[in-house]
Amino acid sequence: MRQTLLHRSCTRYSLLTALFLSLAFFTTNAQANEHRVTLSGNGIPLRSVFKAIKKQTGFAVMYNTTLTMINQDEKVTVHFTATPLDEVLAFIFRGKNLEWSYNDDVLLIRKKETPPPRVKKIVDSTVTPALLTGKVTDATGQPLIGATVQVKGSSQGTTTDEQGKFSLAKVGNGDVLLISSVGYETRELPVKGRSVLAQLNVLVSGLDETVVIAYGTTTQRLSTGNIASVKAKEIAMQPVSNPLLALQGRVPGLFIEQATGIPGSGVTVRIQGQNSLSAGSDPLYVIDGVPYASQMLDGISTIQGRTGAGGTAGNPLSYINPADIESIEVLKDADATSIYGSRAAAGAILITTKKGKAGKTKVDFNWQQGWAKVGNFVDLLNTQQYLEMRHEAKRNDNVAIGPTDYDINGTWDTTRYTDWQKVLIGGTAQYSDAQLSVSGGTASTTFLVNGGYHRETTVFPGGLHDQKASVHLNVSHSSPNQRLRLQVDGKYLTDNNQLTATDLTPIALQLAPNAPALYQPGGQLNWATNAAGASTWANPLAHLETTYRNRVHNLIGNAILRYRVLPGLDIKANLGYTYIIRNEALLYPLSASPPETRPSSTNSSRFGNDQLSTWLIEPQATYTRNIHKGKLEVLLGSTFQQNQSNQQQLNAVGFSSDLLLEDIRAATTVTAGNTIASVYKYNAIFGRLNYNWQNKYIINLNARRDGSSRFGANNLFNNFWSVGGAWLFYNESFIQKHLPFLSYGKLRASYGTSGNDQIGDYRFMSLYFSRSRAVPYQGVTGLFTTGFPNPYLQWEEIRKLQAGLETGFWADRVLFNLTYYRNRSANQLLFYALPVLTGHTDITSNFPATIQNSGWELTFNTINLQGLDFHWSSSINLTIPENRLLEYKNLAQSVDAPYYIIGEPFLISRRYPALGVDPATGIYIYTDRHGSPTSIPTYPEDATVIVNTAPKYYGGLQNSIRYRGFTLDFLIQFVKQEAQSNHFGDRPGAFYSDAFGSYGNQPVAVLERWQKNGDQRPVQRFSSTYPVEIALPYWSIFDSDAAFADASFLRLKNLSLSWQLPAAQLKKLHLQQARIFTQGQNLLTFTKYSGLDPESRSNTLPPLRVWTLGIQVTL
Amino acid sequence: MQKHTIYVYRLYRMTAALILSVPFIILSVSCRKFIEVEPPLTGLNGSNVYTTDATAAAVLTDIYAQMSARNASLTDQSITSIPLYVSLGADELILYDLNAQNLAGYYRNELHYGSHPSYWNAIYPQIYASNSAIAGLNESTQLTPALKQQLLGEAKFIRAFCYFYLVNMFGDVSLVLDLDYKANALLPRAPVAQVYEQIILDLKEAQELLSIDYLQGDALTAYPSGSEERVRPTKWAATALLARVYLYTGDNDNAATEASKVIDHATLYNLGPLNQTFLKNNQEAIWQLQPVRIEANPNSGEGRLFVLPPSGPNTIDHFVYLSPQVVNSFETDDQRKTNWVDSVIVDGTTYYYPYKYKIGNVAAPMQEYPTILRLAEQYLIRAEARAAQNNIAGAQSDLNIIRSRAGLPNTTAADKTTLLHAILQERRVELFTEWGHRWFDLKRTGQLDAVMQVVAPLKGSSWKPYQALYPIPQEDLNRDPNLVQNPGYNQ
Repeated sequence: MRQTLLHRSCTRYSLLTALFLSLAFFTTNAQANEHRVTLSGNGIPLRSVFKAIKKQTGFAVMYNTTLTMINQDEKVTVHFTATPLDEVLAFIFRGKNLEWSYNDDVLLIRKKETPPPRVKKIVDSTVTPALLTGKVTDATGQPLIGATVQVKGSSQGTTTDEQGKFSLAKVGNGDVLLISSVGYETRELPVKGRSVLAQLNVLVSGLDETVVIAYGTTTQRLSTGNIASVKAKEIAMQPVSNPLLALQGRVPGLFIEQATGIPGSGVTVRIQGQNSLSAGSDPLYVIDGVPYASQMLDGISTIQGRTGAGGTAGNPLSYINPADIESIEVLKDADATSIYGSRAAAGAILITTKKGKAGKTKVDFNWQQGWAKVGNFVDLLNTQQYLEMRHEAKRNDNVAIGPTDYDINGTWDTTRYTDWQKVLIGGTAQYSDAQLSVSGGTASTTFLVNGGYHRETTVFPGGLHDQKASVHLNVSHSSPNQRLRLQVDGKYLTDNNQLTATDLTPIALQLAPNAPALYQPGGQLNWATNAAGASTWANPLAHLETTYRNRVHNLIGNAILRYRVLPGLDIKANLGYTYIIRNEALLYPLSASPPETRPSSTNSSRFGNDQLSTWLIEPQATYTRNIHKGKLEVLLGSTFQQNQSNQQQLNAVGFSSDLLLEDIRAATTVTAGNTIASVYKYNAIFGRLNYNWQNKYIINLNARRDGSSRFGANNLFNNFWSVGGAWLFYNESFIQKHLPFLSYGKLRASYGTSGNDQIGDYRFMSLYFSRSRAVPYQGVTGLFTTGFPNPYLQWEEIRKLQAGLETGFWADRVLFNLTYYRNRSANQLLFYALPVLTGHTDITSNFPATIQNSGWELTFNTINLQGLDFHWSSSINLTIPENRLLEYKNLAQSVDAPYYIIGEPFLISRRYPALGVDPATGIYIYTDRHGSPTSIPTYPEDATVIVNTAPKYYGGLQNSIRYRGFTLDFLIQFVKQEAQSNHFGDRPGAFYSDAFGSYGNQPVAVLERWQKNGDQRPVQRFSSTYPVEIALPYWSIFDSDAAFADASFLRLKNLSLSWQLPAAQLKKLHLQQARIFTQGQNLLTFTKYSGLDPESRSNTLPPLRVWTLGIQVTL
Repeated sequence: MQKHTIYVYRLYRMTAALILSVPFIILSVSCRKFIEVEPPLTGLNGSNVYTTDATAAAVLTDIYAQMSARNASLTDQSITSIPLYVSLGADELILYDLNAQNLAGYYRNELHYGSHPSYWNAIYPQIYASNSAIAGLNESTQLTPALKQQLLGEAKFIRAFCYFYLVNMFGDVSLVLDLDYKANALLPRAPVAQVYEQIILDLKEAQELLSIDYLQGDALTAYPSGSEERVRPTKWAATALLARVYLYTGDNDNAATEASKVIDHATLYNLGPLNQTFLKNNQEAIWQLQPVRIEANPNSGEGRLFVLPPSGPNTIDHFVYLSPQVVNSFETDDQRKTNWVDSVIVDGTTYYYPYKYKIGNVAAPMQEYPTILRLAEQYLIRAEARAAQNNIAGAQSDLNIIRSRAGLPNTTAADKTTLLHAILQERRVELFTEWGHRWFDLKRTGQLDAVMQVVAPLKGSSWKPYQALYPIPQEDLNRDPNLVQNPGYNQ
């Protein structure tokens, strides 16, 4: 029986001490390891070595000659090339009983007070397999109790006793021992005798992994802010083409929704809720220090869906290769974001891409092939049910079947049945992804090159596809003395997305089930013309004749230049440039039009050319020094940033042939569409001060002064600040004494401000734009004004208060974090609604309104089982958000009065209380404001029910299970929410069809309709014409509480299973690593929601279920 | 050790100096200039658009161009779609496809303030455009005086034109005359009489300000005589509209006077043959719009919609045809019936359609312009005003001019009452499906209820008198607390 080690409580205290001591040791070393020495010479005196150390590292070497017995004239032979200082010292003092420490700029060498325990290998000459004895200790020599000792490749094993000792029979020389203990690195030790002493190093905890923050790095342990990190490993497990989608369900406080299942889909990202009533609530994206667009410009097609409230064409993060990403950090509170000033009110998402590592050149190849399908179809009426509905509707209306009732007047075959969802969106999309990277380098220069290729098709018929190719190059270099460091990074991605102008999903949901065949017997598209020669429907495949092509080139370049002026003082410049070019074409050939309209219609095409560019220069200085028992870090910097947005759209009509639609010269008329040429300028100074006293008390202060061109002349500048603090109470001796099981504990709190300027450029100016006409009026191109200007526009200011408790138990085997946040956003920038009689329906204005997003974030990480071959860990995150309108001056007199209520959530919808269907008349009735029933309620007076449209809670449950070479990871995402349901169909009983569109079919839920006097049914009587007395009650149902249903869901978001080739095989094949894997996304969804998908909640193509197989090989 | 202390001290001093100097270096380079932006290259700004003649003129030109662009599709509800929607509500057109909800709402007079698009929403932004032009022009000091005068006249004319239709569709309407959105957002509805006062004031000013010649795109240069493009408002357009406004308000003296001014300006205006009435720049046109869309058919939206193809009406782009009431209202031998009405026969059913604009949805060169004001109406205005003044001979003479062009004998009506009746009938057959004349005539002469009670059941609805006024959109009622809905629409 293999013995799996479980934790034993008696070891806790010693473990904790060991951990603490090791940490202290580790941090000292870490500091010294930043200093490197280059020196070569045969027989040079120690004096010269000390001089070189001082010159290259800044440390003055100090020692007592008597006690240390160092002779500075002693000759040594050294060959150091960028060797860490500790190694240099270890080399020149080898065999001497000396130790050293660093204090400010002084390197103090002294005699070792107690000889350190050493790894002793007591060699016995006997070769026969016999009893092997040994001892396991930590790095300080303390015995480790209950550590597992196993003979590799056999089932033989044991655990250590109270003195850390063990014995094993029948172990031969050349066997390998596997020694492990919770909280320590597992060690492999070849047996070379009859007695063994093994020392285990403390495992570097996840708490100490580097976490990227604004203008620097920290660790979760030492951070004062609310930051979450998702690493490359988790991203790699998910077959997604937009890295944002890899964050879904993984980060507390982060809510992400995918708009559609179409390649390049829009993605809405909200950190700790919607922070603005109507300005943008997109987070600030920063890729390797360079701000990146959160929205594309509005394009000429809407098929890719929206990103948040704005934007119509996909999401700019689609143009980042997820495989290039090392980590994504989500910054949530003021402590983490206020240093970004006016741009990060809605939080920040930092994307750090991969860098090369010194060492052997590594070649990594990753390929996966997959399939994607729509996960869920809606239950729609079949032909029989449909015809029954239509005839009943005609009877109810007492209306004869008319000439345009093609579905029931004999024009269409009433015996046909087509499952349009299956035909139009039931296909299987192909998914291919290949990545090849080469990385490596020396201690002074590292590099990484990655090439990626990605292709996915759609579930629609036809050969639509999206192809991406990308390259990422990173080079880092440091001078031999480590004072100058340079890092250059370039990423380029090109995307060619071939789509149609129209999403076929809404058509699939609305086409009558007896609609005609797609093709005529001869193979041509069937337009089902009537006696008069007019098409009776819009053949859905005609949409495939139209083309929407979206080509994007995305370049992101940045360089970081750092120079160590003095020990502790670095100056740094971050230079960045991003450039996204989008090239769109929307082609409407005549072949997409019904044949009979072709003589009088024209083919046309639209073209869009956009460029979004950003340049950034950020000079910075950092200074680090130890003051008293603490460490002070100071950062000062300045930002110069400029964004340019350009767009030119052209409309061309009248091509002699459909083949020439891409050639604008072949058009008879070309007119200009939208044009944009806007500039956003931004300038700031910022600073940060961080003081860490003995890893117990940490205080962090941020300040920024910002100027932005989006605001009127009186309000160009503003200041932002934050204060954050952390108390690492587990380092207090009384805690360690009384709560020995507590391995980590931190209380943190922060308060501060940041701003929101997401209102678009030039909002404060009164602007006149040209409006181009095919035939200019009297030869003149007109000018028109757009909206009311407001020169007093100001920042929307958000004040964030957050507090958190982070704890770890039993050597961090259980980690539990709890955060409370309360973000108040005041001086709201509103599209203040105006009656249209003023000329415009709104004006951008600051408004005395305050909204609050508050909530609890909770994460719980556990290592459930841990052994040599078996490891199981879980992670749960949960967010319980709440939103509230705190203040709205004169709300009652304002135009928003019907929509908001002070003290209530602001993400609400006011609805009529539905009473169901009147059994006598068969139409919907509601309770009016006086409590009496009405079938024609008025808004807002009768809308007395308040429905909260925000999610109630959401989160994810992640499990990671490893057994030998197998690794299984899965993530279950859950969201509790309510949403508009589609129970009531779209005018059940009505039908409309012509050459440009049609509707008719309904969800099966409408069968629960009223039919005759006395019926108690949830759906009102069918009608074909919807006269006003039927239509008004019908439309009101969508504004009633009845149309709001549970849209909660539980989704197996991601599953990844991989098998790693055993070490022996790898050796044989000369591979560092090889694994095969299968991955899935959106695999299973459990929901009561009746529509296509509870996440996209619309009639657009839902997020797809993806499944892939892949292989990864590292040479 | 001593040496070290000094060294360390120097080090501190140096670093401290460096650290302290950094923010100053940064501050000195971060300046206000860096973040001030020029207007975007793609737009002019409110303060410079009225500084040059060309850009100032382009602002007014865009109003006409926008009206014309919207005329291309009459279903695109804007002021130029009045010939479709308002006619549908009266007894002039039959809706082929009752499933088309927006059209059916107008057709069956079952407008709902929540679910139907509204002229309210379409017209007020146009009033804003003229208000902002008036404000900008009044502040401007750099424009050529003659140009400034003309443009101010045009802006006031457009404002009056918009209010004329608003007041006739909605009754009392909010009178927005400036750009103060805060005050305007709280405006109540002004009584009809007050709105008419403002219309008359604007039109009188426009008369003074506007050129007597048709002007070119620069709004300054007159066209050579005989080759006018009649697409910018002139003094005559303002006079013609003023005559109509006086007639509507019962000021017959002034109506006759103003109509006479236009009628007497024979160097520009004459009645031509019936088949030329809607051609571009014909002798009868007082104000037309120049089509700005080219595509297959750069002619009028009326022609494109009304002229039926051989396959007859359909649900796509030919969803209305002429009502039997109109077809049967012509006297025998009325040339207008042969010239301005045509028909197609599909499956044995004859569909009549308005054939005033003759170019349907086919490719054709630009020949017809959407016509807003024309001379024939001025004769009918004067006839009606004269009849009301008991100037029987004068009224007869005006009426007979219109009748004789249509190939009809002189009127037999010889007293005020029969004459007024005859004039109304003449207006019906002369002005059918043009700019809502029929609907407005029925309303102002008090015959709407009587006529609609007969017509509504034919459309499958029942007439309720409150339907004479359109409902005000619910959104504006929500946003302006002082607005009140027209009676009948609050359940």
